[in-house]
Amino acid sequence: MEKLNYKFDTQEEVKEPVHVGVVASGDLEVLVYPTTDPQTTVEIVTGSDGFGEVWKNVLDRFFARYPLHADFKINDFGATPGVVNLRLAQAMEEIKHGE
Amino acid sequence: MKVKRSWTQQRDAKNARMEKVSSLLNGKFAKTEDAKEILERLIEPNDKVVIEGDNQKQADFLSRTLANVDPERVHDLHMIISSISRPEHLDIFDKGIASKIDFAYSGAQSTRVSQMISSGRMKVGAIHTYLELFGRLFIDLIPNVVLVAAEKADRNGNLYTGFNTEETPTIVESAAFKNGIVIVQANEIVDQVPRVDIPGDQIDVIIPADKPYELEPLFTRDPQNITEIQILMAMMAIRGIYEKHNVQSLNHGVGFNTSAIELLLPTYGEKLGLKGKICRNWELNPTPTLIPAIESGWVESIHSFGGEVGMEKYIAARPDIFFVGKDGSMRSNRALGQVAGQYAIDMFIGSTLQIDKYGNSSTVTAGRVPGFGGAPNMGSNPTGRRHSTPAWQAMKTTDNPLDKGQKLVVQMVETFGANKQPVFVDKLDAVDVQKEINMENAPIMIYSEDTTHIVTEEGIAYLYKTDSMAERQAAIEAIAGVTPVGLRSNASQLQDLRNRGIVALPEDLGVHRGEAKRSLLAAQNMSDLVKWSDGLYNPPAKFRSWS
Amino acid sequence: MENSFVELNGRDRAKVLFDHGTARELVGPLDNLYSPHLMPQGIVPESDDGIILMKGQIKGLDSVVISMEGAFQGGGIGEVGGAKIVAALEQTLKDNQNGHKEYPIIVFDTGGVRLQEANYGLLSISEIQNMIIALKKYVPVIGVVPGRVGAFGGMSITSAMMSYLIATDEARVALNGPEVIEQEAGVREFDSSDKNLIWNTLGTKQRAATGLVDEIVDDDVDLIKNSIVAAIQAKKDSHRTENVDFYLNLLKDIDFNQPMDTEEYRKLFPTVKAGNHHIAEAQKSATPKDKSRGRLWFEKLTGIENAESEVSTVLHATVDGKEFIAIVPDTQNKRFPRVRNGEVGLMEGFTVAKIVNQVIEEDQGKEQKRPIICIVDVPSQAYGYKEELIGINVALASSAAAYAKARQAGHPVVDFIPGDAVSGGFLAHGLQSNRMIALGDDSITIQAMSKASAARITLRTIEELEEATKHVPAMAYDVFNYTKLGALYKRIDSIKSWDASDKNVARIQKEIDAAIDSTKGQPTDLSYRYTNEIAVKEGRVATLKMRKAVENQWNN
Repeated sequence: MEKLNYKFDTQEEVKEPVHVGVVASGDLEVLVYPTTDPQTTVEIVTGSDGFGEVWKNVLDRFFARYPLHADFKINDFGATPGVVNLRLAQAMEEIKHGE
Repeated sequence: MKVKRSWTQQRDAKNARMEKVSSLLNGKFAKTEDAKEILERLIEPNDKVVIEGDNQKQADFLSRTLANVDPERVHDLHMIISSISRPEHLDIFDKGIASKIDFAYSGAQSTRVSQMISSGRMKVGAIHTYLELFGRLFIDLIPNVVLVAAEKADRNGNLYTGFNTEETPTIVESAAFKNGIVIVQANEIVDQVPRVDIPGDQIDVIIPADKPYELEPLFTRDPQNITEIQILMAMMAIRGIYEKHNVQSLNHGVGFNTSAIELLLPTYGEKLGLKGKICRNWELNPTPTLIPAIESGWVESIHSFGGEVGMEKYIAARPDIFFVGKDGSMRSNRALGQVAGQYAIDMFIGSTLQIDKYGNSSTVTAGRVPGFGGAPNMGSNPTGRRHSTPAWQAMKTTDNPLDKGQKLVVQMVETFGANKQPVFVDKLDAVDVQKEINMENAPIMIYSEDTTHIVTEEGIAYLYKTDSMAERQAAIEAIAGVTPVGLRSNASQLQDLRNRGIVALPEDLGVHRGEAKRSLLAAQNMSDLVKWSDGLYNPPAKFRSWS
Repeated sequence: MENSFVELNGRDRAKVLFDHGTARELVGPLDNLYSPHLMPQGIVPESDDGIILMKGQIKGLDSVVISMEGAFQGGGIGEVGGAKIVAALEQTLKDNQNGHKEYPIIVFDTGGVRLQEANYGLLSISEIQNMIIALKKYVPVIGVVPGRVGAFGGMSITSAMMSYLIATDEARVALNGPEVIEQEAGVREFDSSDKNLIWNTLGTKQRAATGLVDEIVDDDVDLIKNSIVAAIQAKKDSHRTENVDFYLNLLKDIDFNQPMDTEEYRKLFPTVKAGNHHIAEAQKSATPKDKSRGRLWFEKLTGIENAESEVSTVLHATVDGKEFIAIVPDTQNKRFPRVRNGEVGLMEGFTVAKIVNQVIEEDQGKEQKRPIICIVDVPSQAYGYKEELIGINVALASSAAAYAKARQAGHPVVDFIPGDAVSGGFLAHGLQSNRMIALGDDSITIQAMSKASAARITLRTIEELEEATKHVPAMAYDVFNYTKLGALYKRIDSIKSWDASDKNVARIQKEIDAAIDSTKGQPTDLSYRYTNEIAVKEGRVATLKMRKAVENQWNN
């Protein structure tokens, strides 16, 4: 198990908290909390060690496409980047839908 | 000058060998307990010997017997085994009974094969594709002895191989008409076979097996294990390839990706109004995940390489769809299936473990030499073809009247494998393995030049539209996610490729990520498949998950 | 299936049961109540700890749905999720006691106790069971086992207590998984690679034919919802844990040395009639019996030498106004070889249930209810194929339910633990007590699973397991760490397990009496365990936090 933390500069305000996913094998849950802090934070607990670089790349691309401003918490049980992307996209859709 | 020689030396030699076992035979029939003695008398050192090791069916009684012969009497055989599946296929090399091998596939034994090649215990003629191996049985790998498996044999030696005919006729033919010896293990000796799959006059020795031959349900995928990512990719493939190019005849490589496509036809495909337009004629093993598509009227015909455990009754009840004999059981044939798969279909779609930056793919990873099987035959473009189907024609990219179409060869992969290793790499592991074990050819499964499309969860690369290697690489990078290859792509490059139709993202195809749910599958588990089949499909016990 | 319930995750399973727009999730993922025990063991937690709690209306009926997420850690019950279930059931109970009809529905998808916090899991499950027994006086408690994981371990015992249990044919219900039985008793007892055997034995169809499941339903959201509502409206109650006389008759002539398969049991089951049983008190005898810590203390505390009973593994007697009950080994046990070392099997569960029910009946209407003293020395539940076939989960549920009922009726139930207190055996015999007294002896093991099994399942050696659990009270095997949870009323360090001298016996009698006295005027539930000083300070901090959160959100 490994804990990872990232920060991003983003603009799109998130108004309501959102939760998607399950900490099942090869899957993850994403929690999104509105924040008033200047930066978006991402706090990850992952069961697969040694993928910090891959996480950074996934998140870089995600926030470049969707600059959501919030605190993200991710509990991951060995999801592939593809699955991570899918869950992040679902959280994003939920946020937009909620608005 | 005319040679002076006897022109029946081989026939005479065969007769001499058969004479050595005459005391053990009653007509063509031998006793189970004499099997070892028979092999020791009929096989001579340095013989070329085929053991029927198919994808599913294994002549395992004969292979176990061969592994027990006296290496003093039988040694240094040159084995020809299409699929190295059983431990004793390799034990014979440990014991010195055999020293050289030509093969096509070694899935379950791939690690040990790699070790044996490295240690020099096993010399490899070549790792073939199925059609090359079958072809060479008639050219320069003509066998002295073949060991095959039948379900039933009758008093006249006629064989019934039925559902699991697979390679038996091809192997028998290569020996029976060129002075080779054909030895058969039979599950059962009967008065009359249900149908004659192989005529008795091609058979020399029949031995009742100690137990029915081994049969593996290799092509069964439990829908339970299909993921949302696979469903997303399947939706993209249906829209961006099947629908776009009007793919009518095809082969599906075996895997969860293609199972997902099969299970989306009656739901997502139906919604898109594609029934009758795509996926009508199949070269495919009878995979249970195709049942819902068959039952909802998508499928016109299926020809199969081999059988699949549990599908017997279902197929017998659907002779309009499958190739079924008068007796009611399916007839499979791998050689003809491979010919059809290579030459007669619009599209092959499959999966792989690694794709390099140029688009070459391989299933070879460090320490494993799994070989190829049928994918390279089906996943290649026979340049001599002149098909008139819309899909084949759709691959023309110029107005040149002499321009040809192409077979669609599609690779479908998630950018990272389940082990979280990138599928897209700069250099294939296969290149290192080639050096390690000194092979003439790098073990590429499907070459870049033959690959027309790559589908990932990120998008589809229409490689056939690229006109330079640089552009091909850029298209691959654009859909390779955050793999080292994919990181080279940037937003403006991606936009340009999308504008030119070389790359499509899900949104370009009208595919919504949120729609990619398991509820979209026509069957979500094995029990659903059984229900779709009206109880005719009888899955092997290992797939049981209901009461 | 087009409208599959099984396919849904735990949260969606809860949501779809409610009338559209009425569901409200309580203490959900965004509330951040994580298990404090997983991350220190290197395991990724889930924000809802795998338990989803929702309130709302089902066909207009006020309902509470508790759903387990089987995909997270096999749906295992830990401290936080367990406390969520207990607190929700308790609030539902209060509402019903206050005249507000509210129907609890439990969607099972669980392997039982979560091994990484095994001690909490076991405590939680007994607390859940206590609430269910209390609730059944007011409303039917409906269980649904959709399938994927099913209902296993301690939660299979809970499932047996449901008023009405609905399952799809993708579900399995069993105390011990086939793998565990194979490990404990060998492949000839139960071949865990034989999927047909597993599904034919533990699957819903067989369970429904033999009284362990009440209704088979197709895997369809609407059909499942309809079944639930129909069961509520018909006030269904299977009285599964009250069929003790039936099972005692069934077991009367069975010889477990003889083979029995699913077909034979299906034939036998409908032919059995409930008999009239009375379990007589243990009698003095001349022949010494198999030694055990439980037997030693039973004989000393009751004064019955070489105590003998018609069921050789269960001893009971009322002495000085206290009812003592012990489960003991019988190495010569001919018909039930799987309980020779003192394990709790079918006969033991049903017999203890019968004894406790007798006490309740005998004291009915009396102001002073007889204290019941549970002498705990149980190495585990019995691991056997026929035990599962007949339903050892029902046997254990029957005795646990009987103890809970006795306690709720005002009988002080006090444990005296001079020996092991492990797993299903402890749930059946010990964990429904309102006070526990244990000896401070190194030889005592208290846990949800034997070390050998836990080591195998978590892929560790026994040494590695011991090292890993030494300092983690949530997982520890010794009575000293167990004390830190707050579960014990008292630990007596000066007396060792085998040291039943007259002086020590007198001391224990005094401690038992003090424990009985301490229950006077106190709640008859299990709240002592999480409200005492040790529990509040360290043992059950997360439990209490969860209880508070559920209470706060219950009526908003």
